[in-house]
Amino acid sequence: MALAESIDTARTDAPARRRRWRLGNASLASPLVVTLALTTLYPLVALVALSLSKSTLGKPLRDWAGIANFTRVLGDPAFLASLWRSAAFAFPMAAVELVLGLALALLFHRLVRAGRVFTSLALLPLMTPPVMVGVAWKLIFAADGGLLNGWLRAAGLIDAPMSFLGSSSWAAVAIVVADAWQWTPFVALLCFAAIKGLSEEVMEAARLDGATAWQRFRHITLPLLVPTLAAVFLLRLVMAFKLFDLVYVLTFGGPGFDTTTSGFQIWRLAFEQFDVGRAAAATLVFVGFVSLVIWPASRAARRLEARYT
Amino acid sequence: MTSPHDRGSLSAFPIGRRRLLAGASAGALGLGLAPFGRAFAQAKRFDGQSLNLMIIQPHVVAGRYLAEAWEKLTGGKVNVTAVPYDQLQAKATLDVQSGTNNFDVIDYWYTGVGALANDGIIVDVTDRIERDKAEIQPDDYLRSIYDPYTLADGKRWGLPYDGDSHLLFYNTEIFGRHGLKAPTTWDEYLERSKAITEAEKANGIYGAAVLGGKAPIIIGASYTNRLAGFGGRYLKEDGSSALDESAAVEAAKALKDAAPSALPTPLETRFEEGLPAFLSGKVAMIEFWSDLGVYAQDPKGSKIVDKWDAVRIPVGGSNKTSRLALNSGFAFAISSGSEKQEHAWEFIKFATSAKTGLGLLLTTGSGIDPDRTSTLNAPEYKQFAPKVQTALAGALENGLPWPNGPESPQLMQVLADELALILADQKAPEEAIAAAHEQWTAIIGS
Repeated sequence: MALAESIDTARTDAPARRRRWRLGNASLASPLVVTLALTTLYPLVALVALSLSKSTLGKPLRDWAGIANFTRVLGDPAFLASLWRSAAFAFPMAAVELVLGLALALLFHRLVRAGRVFTSLALLPLMTPPVMVGVAWKLIFAADGGLLNGWLRAAGLIDAPMSFLGSSSWAAVAIVVADAWQWTPFVALLCFAAIKGLSEEVMEAARLDGATAWQRFRHITLPLLVPTLAAVFLLRLVMAFKLFDLVYVLTFGGPGFDTTTSGFQIWRLAFEQFDVGRAAAATLVFVGFVSLVIWPASRAARRLEARYT
Repeated sequence: MTSPHDRGSLSAFPIGRRRLLAGASAGALGLGLAPFGRAFAQAKRFDGQSLNLMIIQPHVVAGRYLAEAWEKLTGGKVNVTAVPYDQLQAKATLDVQSGTNNFDVIDYWYTGVGALANDGIIVDVTDRIERDKAEIQPDDYLRSIYDPYTLADGKRWGLPYDGDSHLLFYNTEIFGRHGLKAPTTWDEYLERSKAITEAEKANGIYGAAVLGGKAPIIIGASYTNRLAGFGGRYLKEDGSSALDESAAVEAAKALKDAAPSALPTPLETRFEEGLPAFLSGKVAMIEFWSDLGVYAQDPKGSKIVDKWDAVRIPVGGSNKTSRLALNSGFAFAISSGSEKQEHAWEFIKFATSAKTGLGLLLTTGSGIDPDRTSTLNAPEYKQFAPKVQTALAGALENGLPWPNGPESPQLMQVLADELALILADQKAPEEAIAAAHEQWTAIIGS
């Protein structure tokens, strides 16, 4: 009797308990939800609101503008060119850094004992503030008294200083080089960690079977690293699209607009022309463009991961 | 534990009777001396109070000078924050707009006065100027400076403290080696620059440094020098773009022509590169703010002491009258976010007064140029910077101002972009100036 009663009571209480449990769970999750709403949703809503309004830096949301900001942004050849330029910088930078980073990681792995020292050294560019990286490379590339020009003149390769940052093609190369110097160690560290996680037994078996170093790398190491490499490439690609600080310090988007990436162009709209409405619209267009461009790369990365995992 | 009775007795106080009597005597003495105390407090009326001042980085010496002089005079403390010259307006705007309201007094480049006023970042001081005009002496300001620096929408928004304009500085030693005289036209400027570069390039010496960095304050200044030289202007009487006038294109052509023989490369040459190049004797000519005359005579940072001279900006085309360009130039305003607006106003009056201005002019490294008739013609200034004073006097009064309306930042940015395209050989001067004119017309008309 008592058991039956308690079962009945339990049955009657079950929905209430579930509700309480759900409420409890919800209350536990609420800080996360609130934080996400504040950090993700609020800026997004604010960005959309700004993009649909006539806003200056001093007086945001001054007037309703409808899609006028989007029309101006999409009709601005300088901004549209900056989108393609961002992609033109991002893909080679991510690819170069992946190749160099992997090579560096393999070197670290080979020099087992020195690996730790190298790892510590590799952290130095990462720990350097990006603006200082820009300043250092500006001193290297400077036409007047720059280190590189000094070396080239001393070696007799040039008789007049070369303007690396004032020439369209060289300025782009200079930015890629400086970015690679800063971010390759980051890629190398991630690859190094992945290499350390590979099974030594498989390598040993391959070695016993007479596989050469290149064969072991080509048929064992590389396939096993593909998921990591794909993820690292995607990560760097997204980061490279946001390139700003090196452009600001090294070339200020010049010569002309030749190194003006979208991030820099958006900054100019907001902080040089103080047109925050147009800058917000440009940001949303940029986000859409990056998502669109990265989508095939992301799909390819997923496929590779599925194939080699 | 103490009873209420205990708490009321003298013996319960932690001070003795003797100390209490001493305190009472001091109080009585204090009351007696109160009138003298008030007088003392008036002399140091901002004792223990502080103000936050934002100033451009090149004027940091001036900021420190003002802070020290203000503290000495009033007892008030001024916290000086230096910001890069191309971020002045953004910093001031964000300070107010974000609600941080850190600054009481802000330094502004005069071309931004309309935008700052329109955005409610600075306070209308028309009535304050009228109230304190005996002290301020507005008539003492050079007319070419006072209105462009302070007037927007029919109201006054600040007081000038630095009347910047460019002069053409040249290295007399290099010129002497080649038997050259200072140029008076842009054609002569080009000839001299080419001759010196061709002869001395191998030694790392160039005919000229052309400030062509893409910031409006840099490349815009180089262009405005030529625009003034060719007799041009930025806006017509009705406020529309004057970039469709022939002088605008002539000026752009002159800028482009100057690039090949200039210190490599004009696009990379900003304030920071141009100044040391001239002071180290690596370039023969530079168009620069008139305070360069003070830097050039300072042996601590100059290798060309007594080896330089300054002349007015050359003329070009059919124009035969030299006109200086009001490139940059700064004023102080009260931040609308300040809770100490009267205090800030007192400081601004002090900082922009003729007496303080003269002190700044005579301070090496302050970066300050004359903005008042009295300081421009002061015997002390004539003695301190004779070459510069001679070049400025009589010309500064008729300087060519940049636009200063609410749309000015956009206008100058558009122009700077087009000029940079000219220097990068990506657009012909005619094409670039036509594009700038078209954009200006759209911006002004919107």
